[in-house]
Amino acid sequence: MFNQEDIFLLIKAIKDNGGYDFSNYSEKSFARRVEKVLIDYRLDIYSLINRVKIDKPFLEEIIKSITVNTTELFRDPQAWQALKYRVLPRLLSKSEINIWHAGCSIGLEVYSMIILLNELGVLNKTKIYATDINSDVLKTAESGVYSYRAVSEYLNNFNSALCENPYNFDEHLVITHDQYFDINKFKDTFKVKPEFLGKVIFKKHDLVNDKNPFDIKYDLILCRNVLIYFNNSLQNKLFVDFWNYLQPNGALLLGIHESIIGPLSAKFDKKGLVYFKKL
Amino acid sequence: MKYIVIGGSAGSFQTVSAILANLPKNYPHAVFLCLHRLKNVRGGFVEALSLKSNIPVCEPFDKDQIVPGIAYLAPANYHLYVTNDGFSLTTEEAINHSRPSIDVTFFSLANTKKNDVVGILLSGANKDGAAGIKSILDAGGKIIVQSPDECQVKTMPLAAIKLTSIDYSMNTKDIIDFLKNLKG
Ligand SMILES: C[S@@+](CC[C@H](N)C(=O)[O-])C[C@H]1O[C@@H](n2cnc3c(N)ncnc32)[C@H](O)[C@@H]1O
Repeated sequence: MFNQEDIFLLIKAIKDNGGYDFSNYSEKSFARRVEKVLIDYRLDIYSLINRVKIDKPFLEEIIKSITVNTTELFRDPQAWQALKYRVLPRLLSKSEINIWHAGCSIGLEVYSMIILLNELGVLNKTKIYATDINSDVLKTAESGVYSYRAVSEYLNNFNSALCENPYNFDEHLVITHDQYFDINKFKDTFKVKPEFLGKVIFKKHDLVNDKNPFDIKYDLILCRNVLIYFNNSLQNKLFVDFWNYLQPNGALLLGIHESIIGPLSAKFDKKGLVYFKKL
Repeated sequence: MKYIVIGGSAGSFQTVSAILANLPKNYPHAVFLCLHRLKNVRGGFVEALSLKSNIPVCEPFDKDQIVPGIAYLAPANYHLYVTNDGFSLTTEEAINHSRPSIDVTFFSLANTKKNDVVGILLSGANKDGAAGIKSILDAGGKIIVQSPDECQVKTMPLAAIKLTSIDYSMNTKDIIDFLKNLKG
């Protein structure tokens, strides 16, 4: 369908006309996404490259199909339990907590955080920032409106993340979904309740090219299932960035199958699933 | 070192377990397991496979390097690519209703490791893996399909046999013998 050289030309065209730099994305998965774009748009690689060179709105659209947006509510409940029992307790006494979701997709991760913070009674003193390269997913995130069919399968995650205590099997909390969501199966809607909307600052941001999007230091950065799309050297650049943007002892949560390997591993303390900034 | 990749779905657990139980310690090849699982059963699979296995079983992290003598299990809800600089995981949409997709892992191995790959497809209820095992064959690798008569669910091996037009298949015992005698 295409070779290495074609991919190189496509990456160059995207960079020249749109400023996005995919040269350090993981080769294999990038190639597979391009394959998907070619099939979805019924194009061959040369028409794709040529159109990307001259058609900016088309280029923006292509970026959105190349990046992968899959996400869940309370994805990997053990990670949320780590936040609940190992990370957030350290922050409860602060007067203000700052959290950044880098690569937030349609916001399910962000609303999971809002729910957890509310359960811990610290939602009102927390500032939540969330960014993504894709402006469409940010719009959905901001609206908090989802399809019931798409999201209901994650209610199991909700239960395990919030109601079970891995450190005390006897504890079992009862937290109901309708406290947080207006659910209508017949209309296929799953909406975040109005009182939990408007608490997040969303912003379009490119982790590859842009600096700290909000110019503050964070107590906690979540960047989950984003760096898997990047190669080693780009991952390392981001670990340096995150280290710089964290407060002393600040926490970094990656996806459960991601880890810091390379030079920056010495500058973080890993406790369970979470990395803490060392000075 | 050879790259042995095993794909399986419904009815394949016993076979995979038997294979792992019979491989020698310090096995000189790397083994990759791409097995479909029930949607809500995420944990416990490594432990279940480790119980009888003679070689270590683990779920790789993104960018981990490949080491011989280990069985790498594709983690639930990720596609597993094997590349020239280690593993690469993605969370793209399910393909053929499967994540991990056997095709994705097979394609990536065929692509990077060519004739050093041995692709094995076991019992299963869908067509995932058929296109992938053909790509291994086309790239010069060896392929084995579990004998449909022995499979609890024949769909997957039959689809592979049809697509590759191979005229042989093997039962579990022969697959194990083949793998034990495989030279680096
Ligand atoms: C697989 S989703 C992960 C969503 C969520 N963090 C989770 O784990 O469920 C990856 C997200 O990263 C975003 N992304 C990809 N490349 C990016 C970049 N260079 N800068 C910012 N976001 C990016 C994609 O648009 C997508 O929404």
